[in-house]
Amino acid sequence: MLSRASILYILVAVAFMVLAVRLFYIQVVDPQYERSANNNVLRHEVLYPARGEVYDRNGEFLVQNREVYDLMVTPRDVKPFDTLMMCSIIGVTKEQLVTAMDRARRFSTRRASVAFEMLPKEAKLKIEERGFPGFHTVYRTIRSYPRNVGGNLLGYVGKVRPIDMERDEFYRATDYIGLSGVERAYERVLRGEKGVRISLVDVHGIVQGSYADGAFDTLPVPGTAITTTIDLRLQLLAEELLAGKVGSVVAIEPATGEILVMASSPTYDPNDMVGREIGRNFVRLRDNPRAPLLNRAVQSHYPPGSTFKMVNALIALEEGVLTPTRRYECHGSYTVGRSNVRCRPHYSPVDLNYAIQTSCNTYFCIVFRNILDNRRYANVKEGFATWAAHVGSFGFGRRLGSDFLDERAGNLPSVAGYDREYRGQWNSMTVLTLAIGQDKMEASPLQLANFTAILANRGFYHIPHIVRRIHDRDSIDARFYERHYPTIDPRHYEPVIEGMWRMVNESGGTAYSYRLPGLDMCGKTGTAENPRGKDHSTFVCFAPRHSPQIAVSVYIEHGGFGSALAMPIASLLVEQYLTGKVEREWMVDMVKNTPIPYPVYDNRRQ
Amino acid sequence: MPTRDNNSLNIGQIDWSSVLIYATLVVLGWVNIYSVAHDGGTTGGILDFGTRYGKQAVWIGICVFTAAAILLIDDKYYHIFAYPAYWAAIALLIAVIFLGTEIKGARAWIFIGGQGVQPAEFAKITTALALARYVGRHGFSPRRMRDVAMAFAIIILPILVIVLQRDAGSAIVYAALLVPLYREGVNGWIFVLIIAAVLLFIFEFLLTPFALLALVVAVCVAGEGLANGRWRTKLIYLAALTLGTIVIYFGAQLFFARNISLFASLLAVTLASIPAAVAYAYRHRLRNVYKYVGLFVFSLIFVSSIDYIFDNVLESHQQERILLLLGIEGDLAGVGYQTNQSKIAIGSGGWFGKGYLEGTQTRFNFVPEQSTDYIFCTVGEEWGFAGSFVVLGLFCLLIVRLMRMAERQTEAFNRIYIHGLAAMFLLHVIINIGMTVGLMPVIGITLPLFSYGGSSLLAFSILFFIAIKLGAAKRDR
Repeated sequence: MLSRASILYILVAVAFMVLAVRLFYIQVVDPQYERSANNNVLRHEVLYPARGEVYDRNGEFLVQNREVYDLMVTPRDVKPFDTLMMCSIIGVTKEQLVTAMDRARRFSTRRASVAFEMLPKEAKLKIEERGFPGFHTVYRTIRSYPRNVGGNLLGYVGKVRPIDMERDEFYRATDYIGLSGVERAYERVLRGEKGVRISLVDVHGIVQGSYADGAFDTLPVPGTAITTTIDLRLQLLAEELLAGKVGSVVAIEPATGEILVMASSPTYDPNDMVGREIGRNFVRLRDNPRAPLLNRAVQSHYPPGSTFKMVNALIALEEGVLTPTRRYECHGSYTVGRSNVRCRPHYSPVDLNYAIQTSCNTYFCIVFRNILDNRRYANVKEGFATWAAHVGSFGFGRRLGSDFLDERAGNLPSVAGYDREYRGQWNSMTVLTLAIGQDKMEASPLQLANFTAILANRGFYHIPHIVRRIHDRDSIDARFYERHYPTIDPRHYEPVIEGMWRMVNESGGTAYSYRLPGLDMCGKTGTAENPRGKDHSTFVCFAPRHSPQIAVSVYIEHGGFGSALAMPIASLLVEQYLTGKVEREWMVDMVKNTPIPYPVYDNRRQ
Repeated sequence: MPTRDNNSLNIGQIDWSSVLIYATLVVLGWVNIYSVAHDGGTTGGILDFGTRYGKQAVWIGICVFTAAAILLIDDKYYHIFAYPAYWAAIALLIAVIFLGTEIKGARAWIFIGGQGVQPAEFAKITTALALARYVGRHGFSPRRMRDVAMAFAIIILPILVIVLQRDAGSAIVYAALLVPLYREGVNGWIFVLIIAAVLLFIFEFLLTPFALLALVVAVCVAGEGLANGRWRTKLIYLAALTLGTIVIYFGAQLFFARNISLFASLLAVTLASIPAAVAYAYRHRLRNVYKYVGLFVFSLIFVSSIDYIFDNVLESHQQERILLLLGIEGDLAGVGYQTNQSKIAIGSGGWFGKGYLEGTQTRFNFVPEQSTDYIFCTVGEEWGFAGSFVVLGLFCLLIVRLMRMAERQTEAFNRIYIHGLAAMFLLHVIINIGMTVGLMPVIGITLPLFSYGGSSLLAFSILFFIAIKLGAAKRDR
């Protein structure tokens, strides 16, 4: 038997062995404690970069950054202070201040939390000057818009959503992200790179110093600036002319596809979507029945109306079922059986130029039927498919691939669609109004502008885009440099353009009243029927006729005749762009003083 | 007491190695308290008495003087004053119950001139001395029931008073004084029962009733087998138990369509087998079989009473602490917070720690009671496994040296006292460090010589230097 003393020695040895093994395990073997210690003590503070600025094509600021200061409060350190003075500096009521203090106290008495967000620099200076103990300010930047312009175009920045965080690991819960327009399309360029400051915090979460003297800290990299293709003065004019109306304007530089103007009405002041009132403003805009947050230039699609006639003319010429000199008679309407498409009074017979100049419905109904019922094709469906392929090559019925991510495709009818609708029993008469851009045909204002650019270019286009230069890169996305060619031979364009020129510049044309001598503008009005109310007023044009510099599409919902509103708006924009000024003030006043009632939208409000 | 001339201190007889270990631990303790309490040098020097490290430095100074005084006092006075001091300490402990200041639920402190003192710390000295004197007297027999009972009473009296102060942690330490009793030859069965009680208490919560019962049966049978041999009989007995359990379990289902649990079946069979065991003991004249039967019955009764006490007597926070210790409930935000943070602090130290004054968990107050009960966290975090191992080694060395010193003593008084001291050191170190690494329940006792706190440091210094003095005296002859 062991002596009792020996047993005691063994017990001591065993006890210390157990402790030593345990220490070895938790200190050396198991890494979880070290991780937990870092979680305890290291706080990663994100340093937000300033977003990239946005310029117009002439270097004028569209979007800037403004420095603001969040007023932080550490309740424990607050000493009795002059609340009235604080209130007057910040611009809040005493109740709001008390509420903010209570909220901060509930969060933590030792840790600083935000009492008031986004104070201007003057308030920050005053607060520092007066020296309120327990309060300090934190710098950050928010978006600022020197000109109240381009709300939907530029888009807004908001708090990141869960889905964004899933898609991109860059984002953390409190980040901001571009949610629409340019801000969204060029988020990756504009956002910059976040920095991080790692600090050591104590058990109460109070910062005690920097970690490893800042060896692992990084500075934020500001976002890259963007020069857009927008012409600020043109954009301002477009928005001024659209005020009070519902519709949109898109203007493109045909040679490059650069979007000079993209205005959607009603719009909003982009400054409303930043700052302390963003929540309230967003709800107000969202609940507005006229949908000011909808960028109608890319997100709406309408029947193109008579502006679509040039498409049919080009297809007919390409398919060989029409020559520019071929004349058809028109007696005020196109009537076959029970179908009847009315026309306006004009001379008869009409050739291609005159048909476009007077927008003769009869002529285009005949032409359209000739395309579909072409003997070259076995049946009308084959003819229709050929027609649809041609139309599609102009960019209709699909997203153009512009840099607006919320771009809509519009609608290009298909054989399958009509087969479903008419159970296979249909012919060229059934879909006759496609001849004049009605029936199921729908296009966005951007697509119409792009089509106009194709006409201006006599047969090609660049994908419309909004960005001209990204400041740290030599080029923009490669797809914008590519030329796209519709399936029409370039020689067919000139007769069509001649018709468009005559429409504006000869007395018989529907747009004659708003011509501007010397501008040499080619255009086409459209008056689109729609089931919801009064006709839409639309107009497409480009100028000058030779080496065109601007192609415009204007679409005014329920604006009546194309020549009534859309035409003068486009004409003024062309004047502004080509001459640098607007001399026809009477036209500006006329457009602005033509009120349009919108029962469709406004009666919905209860 | 034999008469001898011991008035002058013989420096050469002092165990300087132990004193050096003692001094090292005290200095290391102070260094770590400084790490916890300093705040980057905004306050005064290292002797700023407003800080904990400043106060601890003062206490260390007091300890030096006290140590010198103890070494100079004739060791016969420890013997002479053992009983009066014991009773004085008991009186003081009782007085504290009525006059003391309540801190964290325990009424264990009295304030003298603004300085808190914990009498329970000092009562360790008097209790150890009184036990040494009683057990060390001529005529004490470890086999005489009355003597053993008196020895136990000397230990239990201060425990009871301290429990009344609601300072259970400090009371537990007195159990260390059982070690010298064991060493002096008190019947081992008493300690077997105490250890069995502790183990049963733990397994009660960890095992199912059936597993616990099976374990107890196995241990008792194995113990009897170790003592008496005759393994074939043991195998037959166990086989019979198993068979009987199976018969009852399935028989009840088959013939009476009733479910009797495995636990109940085994219990019934085992209880039924007790007469057989008694008959076996009688036939072979094996009296120690009765002891194992007794151990089994004791276990049954003990476990049932724990069940009852746990469910009906203990408060919910006490239940939580016990369950947490046994790893049954993991409430990291509540009771487990301290243990978890302490493990994180120590565990993040790695091999060599984060460096002196660089411990983040320590500096930023993640661990509660940093400079007192959880001082070892600072060692673990800032000095890593290497530093922890050194501290652990120093404690181990000190305790082993004290035990060897005790074994060298020819006088029972000295031997008992020094063994008691070594055991108290051991228990403190095991419970305190065990607590910081999550092996022990959260019991608020100090790491001797290391933790901040004048009472603990001074009490252990007095205890230690009395032992040194006694050890030195022995070599005089």
